[in-house]
Amino acid sequence: MSKIEIRNLVKMYGEHQALHGIDISIPQGEFCVLVGPSGCGKSTTLRMVAGLETITGGDVVIGDRIVNGLKAKDRGIAMVFQNYALYPAKTVYNNMAFSLQLSKMPKAEIAKKIADVADILELTPLLDRKPAALSGGQRQRVAMGRAIVRDPEVFLFDEPLSNLDAKLRGQMRAEIKRLHQRLKNTIIYVTHDQVEAMTLADKIVIMKDGRIEQQGTPDEVFHDPDTLFVAGFMGSPPMNLIEGTVTPTGIKLTDAEITCSMPDSAKIGDRLVFGMRSDDIRPLEDGFEGVSITADVDLIEQLGTENLVHFSLGRDAMIGKTGGRTRIMANDKVPFTLQMQHAYFFDPETGLRIR
Amino acid sequence: MSRVINGFKAHGTPYFFLLPCLVILGALLSVPLYKVVEYSLYDNVIVERNPTFVGLQNYSNLLTDSAFWSATANTLIFTIGSVVGHIIVGTGLALLVNADIHPRAQTIFRSLLILPWIFTAVVVALNWQLLLNPFGVINYGLTQIGLIDAPIDWLGDPAFAMWALLMISTWRGYPFIMVSFLSGLQSIPQELYEAAEIDGAGFFAKFWHVTVPQLKPVIYGVALLDLIWTFQLFPLVWLTTGGGPGRSTEVLSTMTFRQGFVDFEFSQAATTAVSILIISAAFTILYLRNEKQKI
Amino acid sequence: MKFPTVMKSVMAGAMLWAGSASAQTEIEWLQWFAAENTDGFYESLVEEFEAAHPDITVKLVTQPFGKVRESIVTDSAIGIGSDVLGLNMPWTSEFLEIGLLEPLDDYLARDDNSFETADLVQAPIGEIDGNIWMVPLNAFPFVMHVNMDLVEQAGFDAPPTTWDEFSEQAIAIAALDDGISGFGMPLSSQPPANGPILTFLPLLYSNGGRIMDGTTPNFDNPTVVETLQFIVDLNDAGALAPGAASRTGGVDLEEFIAGRTGFLISPGVHAQAIEGRNADLNYVAAAVPNNGTPAYRVHGWELGISSGSTEKEAAWTFINFLLSKDVNARVAAASNALPGNLTSLEIVGDGAGDVMQAQIAILANDEPVEELRQAPSAVGSWSLMTEEMQAMLRGDQTPEQAASNVQARWLELIE
Repeated sequence: MSKIEIRNLVKMYGEHQALHGIDISIPQGEFCVLVGPSGCGKSTTLRMVAGLETITGGDVVIGDRIVNGLKAKDRGIAMVFQNYALYPAKTVYNNMAFSLQLSKMPKAEIAKKIADVADILELTPLLDRKPAALSGGQRQRVAMGRAIVRDPEVFLFDEPLSNLDAKLRGQMRAEIKRLHQRLKNTIIYVTHDQVEAMTLADKIVIMKDGRIEQQGTPDEVFHDPDTLFVAGFMGSPPMNLIEGTVTPTGIKLTDAEITCSMPDSAKIGDRLVFGMRSDDIRPLEDGFEGVSITADVDLIEQLGTENLVHFSLGRDAMIGKTGGRTRIMANDKVPFTLQMQHAYFFDPETGLRIR
Repeated sequence: MSRVINGFKAHGTPYFFLLPCLVILGALLSVPLYKVVEYSLYDNVIVERNPTFVGLQNYSNLLTDSAFWSATANTLIFTIGSVVGHIIVGTGLALLVNADIHPRAQTIFRSLLILPWIFTAVVVALNWQLLLNPFGVINYGLTQIGLIDAPIDWLGDPAFAMWALLMISTWRGYPFIMVSFLSGLQSIPQELYEAAEIDGAGFFAKFWHVTVPQLKPVIYGVALLDLIWTFQLFPLVWLTTGGGPGRSTEVLSTMTFRQGFVDFEFSQAATTAVSILIISAAFTILYLRNEKQKI
Repeated sequence: MKFPTVMKSVMAGAMLWAGSASAQTEIEWLQWFAAENTDGFYESLVEEFEAAHPDITVKLVTQPFGKVRESIVTDSAIGIGSDVLGLNMPWTSEFLEIGLLEPLDDYLARDDNSFETADLVQAPIGEIDGNIWMVPLNAFPFVMHVNMDLVEQAGFDAPPTTWDEFSEQAIAIAALDDGISGFGMPLSSQPPANGPILTFLPLLYSNGGRIMDGTTPNFDNPTVVETLQFIVDLNDAGALAPGAASRTGGVDLEEFIAGRTGFLISPGVHAQAIEGRNADLNYVAAAVPNNGTPAYRVHGWELGISSGSTEKEAAWTFINFLLSKDVNARVAAASNALPGNLTSLEIVGDGAGDVMQAQIAILANDEPVEELRQAPSAVGSWSLMTEEMQAMLRGDQTPEQAASNVQARWLELIE
């Protein structure tokens, strides 16, 4: 397993610039997730590391080699594709063995390797089947097996779970995490699902429009977002983001005034975006400490373990949380507690966090 | 009875729509077919007002005629040679056209490469006769390069005529394979090639392990169709060599025509025609079976 | 008194009109002549005839040459057919076998014909099985077309008249340049594969030879072998154009027109094409060089009556028209050939060009030979001759073997 350095990576498609200088440093054994909306450049970055796209500018370093000029097969990578890309005419065994057969490894050695990997992934009874006879989850495991068998320095995953249903996705997520703990491989994982990112990653890299918005641990990007975009992107339900103006006592939203301590750089009269996670907005009856407001409940979303309370603070719509056994109903007028110590403030023009 | 009529009324409408087509097909296909088989059982049809019935005599004559067997051998050589040529050239060109080149260049090449198929047999035959003439361009080019010492009479030398004919037939027929392959190639997901690339496959390995398995059903169906068509091919051979020199390029279809309209031996011609029918029918059944399996 | 006369004349006129209306006959003329002469000559000829014979209409059915032969046979198979048939002499034997032709002896014996039987070109009039089956519309001798430029370049000042001179000049011309040949043999197997009868037969006849013995093939005889040998010698000396086995009659003609061959043996009628396509060619028509016998192969367009016709009288009336002195002269002029009715020669010869004069001279002085009317399965036999001569020129067999092979295969064919 090796470390990966992505230095000032640039990609141009003709006149259009897709990547504007990406810098990521991934130490050995780290699970790095690239996450962001469609078109943000995460897949492009991954494919440039793999060698499936040409590098317009910058360097990709795997281990201690600059791999810019190397073909995909010489870079020491293995990739798991979104649509599995299993060879339809080959058995599971041959799908996994293909790269080894091409490198002229002796048959006995190949058999041993496949047996080991099949064992890890519980694929042993399926070795003689063709991909068409496998379920989605089984196919994904074969795709992973094919990658593992190559003993690469780096694993690359390109949205591998997008084609699976919700339950299967959850199971596979756990399996991938377990595999990582066991094999301790260096992984770059691309997804658009921030839940996957949060659960799997050692480091999350959030990208938008060909640039990195923020990179850090899940905890950092979730609890300490650098930008408005990161704040709104991470977390489900998304962070409540309301525009307001700085007042001498705190912040004034459209129809409510909230008394709180403001960041030092905020001056009275400045326009700000006020952000707070649903988690930190509770009905008064739940007994948390914070600023009180009263609002009209619009609807309750029941999640079983907890409920999401959609309410209107005047003309601003917000979402709060409460326990699964609440009695609150739509159209109730309910007092809420805002835990202002967990409040975030952002500059509406630059999107940057105001600390 | 009324139940039958009502049943027919309910399900019969589709058949009424088919009726005009069936009538025409019946008249144009089944009547001549029946007639030809009938002719093959008589002697001296057409030239004689009242031909004599000879049963299968014509067939036993045919099977003991060495000209028939040599024509059959030529037909097999011509058919299989042409189809193999079509597949090799067609696949190669399809791969080239499908490569990562400028879309406009791709369109231009695709259009140019389909042209041989569009020309009629007469045009193709005449052109190649001129090209392969001892004073023609090809002989000139080959002698200039030094590949041959003196011009060769490609279409007039029994040693070369069949090869020349195979080349002309390959040239004429590859576009069909190329077009079928192109559409097949474009339906292969790019991801498979990327996965193969990462697994370490070079150009040939990718072709053999990714392209060919995906295209196998297309190859099989298209090759069978081509076999059936080429087996009965008449105009190109007749207009290029007339079955000669000697009878070195005589195929079953030209033999049928020669027997019928040169020698006026219509019974013999009908018998040869029926033999072509039987062999083609065998291929066609194979093709239909293959199509059925696909569903 | 006037009134009854008027009435009578009106009634007479009405009856005449009614009579002619019910006596209106239609005859069909199947031919290829109008396909080769596209300026409407035959259409206007038909109109002229119909004007002179209001009770007969002629329907002109024009097809390409090859198709006419097939059509005549297949039409009769289904019981239809034309009345007047354009015929080619080599088709005679196979048509007689099927019984397609009406004997013309009785018609020719009539006094009121527009011509004298003795004035007609004799070749097609010859009796087969005791009957006459066709009459000539026109005739053309086979000549040798000569490229005088090449002849003079090779150092001679007149076309060859003997085989030795022919051989000498052909070899000299072939030596002139890389793309030039002395003489071409169109021996392509491509249908109609009639190279042998186009080029070999005229030479054979000028050597006093024949390929038929009455109605039986006699290809395997010394004169035939001698003529074949002559061709092989020409080939070995390099005088023959390469690629004989793929050379069609069309290409043979084209090469001569393009000035790449010294000599071309073909029907005189090709002169029109030669002069029309390449006016710069220093072109002369001469008799085929002979080896002691001044004879020429005669060919032409013939007319016959279908045995299944229901209007044979009207058909003969039309044939009479076509063979009458004046009409026949015009037909000859339109097809650049010589008239079937030899009395028309004086009209045709009047003001005719050199080539025509040369053909008239041949017609007048030399012996005409026509064997193919009696040749059984003539068209099929040409393929055999072509194949065996191909093998001979390739060096795979001797002229003796070629001749005996043709004879054997031909006999088998007519079984």
